[in-house]
Formats: sequence, C-alpha cells, structure tokens
Amino acid sequence: MSDYFSLMFTVVLLSLVVNIGIALYGIFIKPSLVKKFIALTIFSDSINSFAIALGFRRVTGSYPGVAVLSDVPRGVEELRHFSTASVDPLPQALVLTAIVIGLAVYMFLTGLIMLYYRHYGTTRVDAARGGSRE
Amino acid sequence: MKARELLIAISIALMVLLLAYVIELGGLGPLAPYALRDIARAYLEYVYNPWNVTASSMALEAVTAIVWDYRGLDTYFETSVLFVAIVGVATLYRGYRELRGLGGVGLSEIVKTSTRVLIPLILVAGASIAIHGHLTPGGGFQGGSFMAVLMVLLVVVFSLDYAFEKGLTSSRLLAIRSAGLVGILLTSVALLIAGVVAGAGAYVFQNMAREGSDLSMPSWFLDRPLGGTLFLFNVFESLAVVSGLTLTFIVLALRKEEVDQALATGEWCE
Repeated sequence: MSDYFSLMFTVVLLSLVVNIGIALYGIFIKPSLVKKFIALTIFSDSINSFAIALGFRRVTGSYPGVAVLSDVPRGVEELRHFSTASVDPLPQALVLTAIVIGLAVYMFLTGLIMLYYRHYGTTRVDAARGGSRE
Repeated sequence: MKARELLIAISIALMVLLLAYVIELGGLGPLAPYALRDIARAYLEYVYNPWNVTASSMALEAVTAIVWDYRGLDTYFETSVLFVAIVGVATLYRGYRELRGLGGVGLSEIVKTSTRVLIPLILVAGASIAIHGHLTPGGGFQGGSFMAVLMVLLVVVFSLDYAFEKGLTSSRLLAIRSAGLVGILLTSVALLIAGVVAGAGAYVFQNMAREGSDLSMPSWFLDRPLGGTLFLFNVFESLAVVSGLTLTFIVLALRKEEVDQALATGEWCE
C-alpha cells in the first residue's frame, strides 16, 4: 500500500516535469507572443506546483493537515502534535513570493505585448525583423 | 528551420529525462517523507508559542508568519517588485489621457444587476481573507487580488467611463498604492521608532519581544490573537495590491483614442 502511494506520488512529480518541458518547448517554438506568454504561465505554474508537492509529507494513520493552528494551543504538547501532523509551510511561503513576482512580470509583459500589437498589427515575433513594419 | 526545431525538441526531451532520472535517484531527498525538515518543524513549533516569545510571532498561521515575520525583509522587496512592475506598465503607456464620454455602455442590464449583487459579497470575502490573514489561510496579497477581481468586473461590466466617473482614476489609485507601501514601511520601523523614543533597543521588522529588546507589538485583540505587525502588514498589503492591480488593469484596458498620443511619440520602438 505504501509503495503504491510512493509510486503515484512520483508519477505526479514526473508528469509535472514533463509539463515543464512542454511549456519550455512552447516558449521556444511558438511564433506568437501571446502563445509564448501562455506557455510561460504554464511553465511557472508547473514549477510552483512542483515546489508545493515537495513540501508534502506523510502522516502515519491519517492525512497531513494544513500549516494553520485551528485553535490557540494550551500547552507545548499541543504544539509538538501540530508539528507532527502538519505539512511543510516553507515551500508554501516561497511559492507565494514566486506567484507575486510572477504576477508582476506578467503584468509588464502584457503591457509590452499589447503595445507590440498596436504598433505592428500582429503578435508574431518575426514582424519586428523588418519588412512588415507599418 | 526544421532542423533547429528538432534540435530544440530533442534537447528539451533530454532535459526532462535527466531531471526525471535525478528525481527518481533521490536528488531532491525522499519524496513525501514521514519526517519533517528541521527548519519546518522549528517554524511550526514557534509560530504561536507563548512559552518562548523571543522566537515566536504569536500568529496561528505559519505561512503568513514566515512571509511577514521570519522573512519580512524578503517580502518587503517582493512588494517593491510589484510596485516597480506597475510603474513600468504606466511608463510604457506614458502620455495616455483618461477620456470621458467615449460612449462606453458596458454589458446588458441583467449582467449589471447581478454584478451589483456580487459587489458587496466579493468585497466582504476579500476583506475577511486579508484581515484574518494571521488566523486562517490567506493574507494581504490573496485578499487584495480577490478584491481586484471586483474592480476588473466593474470595468468590464460597467465600462471604463463608469469607473472614471466613480473616481477610479489612475492618479488616485497610484496614491492609494503608494500609501499602502508607506504603511508597510512605517509598520516595519514602528518598534524601532518607539525604541529610539523610549531609549530602548529595537530592531527593524521586529514583531514580538526579541533577545536584547523587550518592546513588543500587541499580540492579542479582545479575545483573539492579533499577531502584532502581521495584521497591519496584511491590511496595508491588501490596500496596495487592490489599487495596484486595478491601476494596471485600467491602463491595459485603455481605449484607442486614449493611447494614441502614447504611441505617436514613437521613441520606444527605435
């Protein structure tokens, strides 16, 4: 049973790695800036999910809880119990930071792509190589 | 051209295979382990620990405590990155004018009425996510983006003209954004200022009493833990995020007549 869990968890992680590869391929190959942008968001979301999955841990006999105390602890034993039953909060905090910075980058890129479209009338990257400039 | 694409595809496939091999070998440590990393256990055991206040942040939520207390300086710069991106978007479109009366009517009456019903619900839900950031999952950024969805709905459903009429102009939004950032800055040095005034030792980004400093932010409000600076950080961050995201969306949603001047200067494309 435990081996089955391990296997499925590894399959999820490896499929995220494959997802990262496909997103990278989209960033490199697709000529349209909008499609590159979508591939970039998939790339960063896959990496974030991967980091969250690395923070997962197993608890004997039940499922792990979220890293939030549901009530004010009344003793040190309660805190010990909390730390044995909760998932790792550190990847979640780091991914929160990554999401915010990613959002900042996306906003700037969206503005750039829209200006590009207004100037060239297309979002294909080869338009900027001369020739089709208005 | 075809060979180049093939080369890229093969190298990416190779990267995926090698990464999978490294993970399978255990290069990232045991996957889904039973034991917790030492640093994670320390965070979990000290997040609300009245028996050892000098290492605690006195909040019930570990992620918010890490984001705003243990790694507070990190998050301050992250907020600055968001601010710089918003300034960057506004700079890209520099020279734009906000025109009224371009004839935007928005969507149909049915959509407008249902949006009017949604507005208070979204506001309350977003505010509760932000204000309870130190008690429940969530925080200033999550609540702020939640409320920014409302502003996006407002612009899409009621048209940009309506938003300008209601006072959602970019200069006002930028002012709120800057006020939020100044609030975060003041909160981070509040205990330092108090320490200088009282002649006691204090640190930047200090929340609870630490070694060498007895000053502390309030850790309780009535019958609930307050988390000291975490509550203030969350409130200011949600203000900053909601105004910043709304500003960016308004700039991105500007009509052709409004950005023509920005495009006509033409310096950016040379």
